[in-house]
Amino acid sequence: MKRASWYLTAGAVAGFAGVLALSSRTSPAVPVALKGTSPARAGQQHHGSGSGSSTAGGNSSGGQPAAAGQVQSATGPVTPYGYGELDVRVTISGNRVTNVTVPVLRTAEPYSQQLAAQVIPMLKSEVLAAGSAQINGVSGATYTSQAYATSLQAALDKLHRK
Amino acid sequence: MSSGPALLTHAEPAMGTVFSFALVPGPLPDADLRSAISAACACLHEADATFSTWDPGSPVSRYRRGEAELAGLPAEVAEVLVDCQAARQASGGWFDPWAMPGGFDPTGLVKGWAVDRALAILRRAGLPAAMINGGGDLAVFGRPGPGQHWRAGIRHPWRADALAGVVEVTAAMATSGSYERGPHLIDPATGEPACRAASATVTGPRLALADALATAVAVGGDGALAAVTAAPGYAAYLIRPDGSETTAGPISFVTG
Repeated sequence: MKRASWYLTAGAVAGFAGVLALSSRTSPAVPVALKGTSPARAGQQHHGSGSGSSTAGGNSSGGQPAAAGQVQSATGPVTPYGYGELDVRVTISGNRVTNVTVPVLRTAEPYSQQLAAQVIPMLKSEVLAAGSAQINGVSGATYTSQAYATSLQAALDKLHRK
Repeated sequence: MSSGPALLTHAEPAMGTVFSFALVPGPLPDADLRSAISAACACLHEADATFSTWDPGSPVSRYRRGEAELAGLPAEVAEVLVDCQAARQASGGWFDPWAMPGGFDPTGLVKGWAVDRALAILRRAGLPAAMINGGGDLAVFGRPGPGQHWRAGIRHPWRADALAGVVEVTAAMATSGSYERGPHLIDPATGEPACRAASATVTGPRLALADALATAVAVGGDGALAAVTAAPGYAAYLIRPDGSETTAGPISFVTG
């Protein structure tokens, strides 16, 4: 599920706009998202690893920039998040993320369900805030050099590398 | 979106993690820039060699086994000891390198201390601005672009790919938690692993102390917040294990 987590990485940073922006499996999603340009690429829809799907309220021919005011939404692949699986659906109007919902949430046991019920509402506001913020670094518990490879910070480092 | 001048980046593996550099080159010639980065990296590796508790032959390992006197060790060891004493006091005892199971262990402070030093090298070399992120604990000087502030996201404790918030950083910011490397944070009172926070972030003037205080808040939770606000210039953002959150002191979140 490594790839799935990368898709969600893109989405989380750009208010999940990155889920829409990913048409190439090789290009790193986060740099696109962090520049705040991913909505402009929202016409390119991602059909994820089996479970992803997307629909568009407006015209969304592949590769065309989304027109201002155009409403699109897409659902990312179901992704493990540590205590279970979740699935995130994002709606974009023009260049703004207007809604984030979690249509699929599966947890292993009641405590995780309870925890997730607290986390998901929090997540929604965070994700929306992160979408409009440019960041230079990510602060967090110390990652190992192995974990660095898939971290947001590593994506940022690639973004600016000359 | 504001773009500002291009930032130069560099990623340097050291201390079992990766140190990420973001630099504003300014008018500095490329050769000077390269040598400044090399000197800063050398400083990190030197700190690694001196303070590695994994390496039984390192000066700190010899010190903690009582095999070496301070006078016979690199001056940096005494310097870090002084910082550790100050941090233990500032944390109200929640950070205590002398209460760790294997003997004196400055790990909770030394990475921040090393970043402070490496950043000072970049500043002295004449760079107008820089950020060094030591595996999640970061410090900055200058501005990334005209009228801009350095901005750091705080990793969401349950989601590696989400942010719990975005903060404008003027000096230093450290975050502790158990989500990356498991229960490694020790409660000085019991000597047992303890974590009363899902994520503990501390901002302030120096990363060495911010790093230690973040460890203190991760271990002590709400009980350690008063110590942070008592330290001039420091503030905390705590996400509790139940997902609720609180702040102590002035910490400026970017709301979009």
